[in-house]
Amino acid sequence: MTSPVKRVAETIHILSAFWVLVIAGIILVDVFGRHFFNSPFLGAVEIIKNSVVSITFLQLPLAIYSGGMLRTTLLYGAVGPQYQRVLRSLTSVLGFLFFAGVAYSSWAPFLEALAINEYEGEGALRVPTYPVRLLVVLTSIFAAFVYIYLLVLDWMGRLTEDMGGDESSTKGAH
Amino acid sequence: MGPEVIIYTFALLVFLVVLGVHIGISLGAASVIGVWLAYGDLDIALSILGSTAYEAIRSDALAVIPLFVLMGEVLSRAGAASDLYRLCDAALKKLPGRLAAATVVGNAAFAAVSGVSIASAATFSRIAYPEMRKLGYDKSYALGVVAGSACLGMLIPPSVLLIIWAILTEGSVGALFIGGIGPGILLATVFIAYNVGAVLLKPSLAPNVAKIANDDAVVEKDTSSKSWAFGGLGVIALILLVLGGIWRGLFTPTEAAGFGAAGGVIIGFLKGMSFRQFLDAVIDAGRTAAPIMFLLIAGSMYARLLAVSGGTGMINEFFDSSGMSPFAILLVMTVIWLLMGMIIDSISIILLTVPIFVPLAVAIGVPEIAFAIYGILIIEAGLLTPPVGLLVYTVKGTVPDKTVTLGEAFKGAAPYWILILFVAVLILAFPAIATWLPSKSF
Repeated sequence: MTSPVKRVAETIHILSAFWVLVIAGIILVDVFGRHFFNSPFLGAVEIIKNSVVSITFLQLPLAIYSGGMLRTTLLYGAVGPQYQRVLRSLTSVLGFLFFAGVAYSSWAPFLEALAINEYEGEGALRVPTYPVRLLVVLTSIFAAFVYIYLLVLDWMGRLTEDMGGDESSTKGAH
Repeated sequence: MGPEVIIYTFALLVFLVVLGVHIGISLGAASVIGVWLAYGDLDIALSILGSTAYEAIRSDALAVIPLFVLMGEVLSRAGAASDLYRLCDAALKKLPGRLAAATVVGNAAFAAVSGVSIASAATFSRIAYPEMRKLGYDKSYALGVVAGSACLGMLIPPSVLLIIWAILTEGSVGALFIGGIGPGILLATVFIAYNVGAVLLKPSLAPNVAKIANDDAVVEKDTSSKSWAFGGLGVIALILLVLGGIWRGLFTPTEAAGFGAAGGVIIGFLKGMSFRQFLDAVIDAGRTAAPIMFLLIAGSMYARLLAVSGGTGMINEFFDSSGMSPFAILLVMTVIWLLMGMIIDSISIILLTVPIFVPLAVAIGVPEIAFAIYGILIIEAGLLTPPVGLLVYTVKGTVPDKTVTLGEAFKGAAPYWILILFVAVLILAFPAIATWLPSKSF
């Protein structure tokens, strides 16, 4: 049984993973176009810039869910399962607070960008900034939610091997 | 609160990292709290959080990370590691201890494209170690060369460490890439010289030298006969294209990364990678790249904290007024790096220390590119330092040989540790090793 949280995280992850390929394609078109046909891909830089932010935030929930975030295991590996759960919980709580903070503090700039129709780029290609700002808000809310979700599963003893902690998580939950 | 806030924040940061809190979250949380303490206003701290999250990685130069990670993932799925290993093995037929030399070159090339020395060491633990043991190579000797050569890869562009260093110091990614070439070649030469020398002095390390020379089938041929040569040469051609393009000014690093990713996909499919493997590679690339990018966001928050709290200035002043010689300052930095290498990964070390160390190094007159290469070498050496060098643990944990002890692994890695430090010091003494090539193109 796949939880809906995992399914959403995976879906947005896969979409953004393929977006990286699209970026590679844009770069090829841009370089070949510029060198051989004297017609660069207009707005390539703006698209790539915004894509980097979007891709990263879209991929974070799955990274959090599947234990991909980097951390040290110096202490974690040395303590018993009960303490490991406490350490995992600390990460979850701080992770939740952090992403809640990002979502909260990105909301006002999003509203402002929408209100004043903030854009970047020049001439033919103007890219509004509000969509990416909104994306940061939404994905941060989801990332915060994933941390809390892991915390709850952990204390219900339902954290499985493909999630948050690591291979010892299942044992740690009992 | 004044600049001393940086000390409390740093203590909090270390505390969280040791507790095993995700390093990005530790950096971010400590930085928010630090700015909060410095200004006494949570709203200011949060507004920096929001603007950094949006601004820190909004740069087309940063697309190099997901693109190069994608290239690395696709190439590994397509079997690039064993291809490289076989190619080097075939090319070095006459060399004493040639499997060790093949490991040095193959692992370094693979670490360069895969971008992470730990992952590369894990892969070569499974590929190269069993082959060396099969031929009766000494255990420690075989373990050491796998661990040591993974460090070398971090100097060879397109290494993620070089990219991150350049971005943090607002330097040129291209210049740092080109700067890594000279030291990379030097270190590879030193490693191979050590391998050969050790075997000549003590033939029991790699006993079957004569026999191996006549034995083409050392490495098992599990795919079609020439596929490995194509794969191995393809990877090397790709590295040359990326590097040469940047060096000759044909590409920006971002464009080179785009070509690298596309080239990786083409080589992968030509080598018969299935669509399923391709999908897995694309998805795994995201899983590797996203946490790195997140570390960069968190790292920029920390850099902002250092700037707004006056922390950087305070640290510089401390070293200034301490009357320490440049040598002593470099020594302090080196020891800190070696110690940190024992507990956290290289990227996190760079994020934590580079914003503080680079201004210090510049102040005492070390050229920036040479200092970057020096730093990366020392940080990688830290991953080999007993008792908890992460790379050595990785090798011990992934070799398909349960009789290996940690002691044997550390013993084998020790000569490489010394050689890395030796080359690092050479680069400080003769910065031209790193700075000459970039000066010819930038």
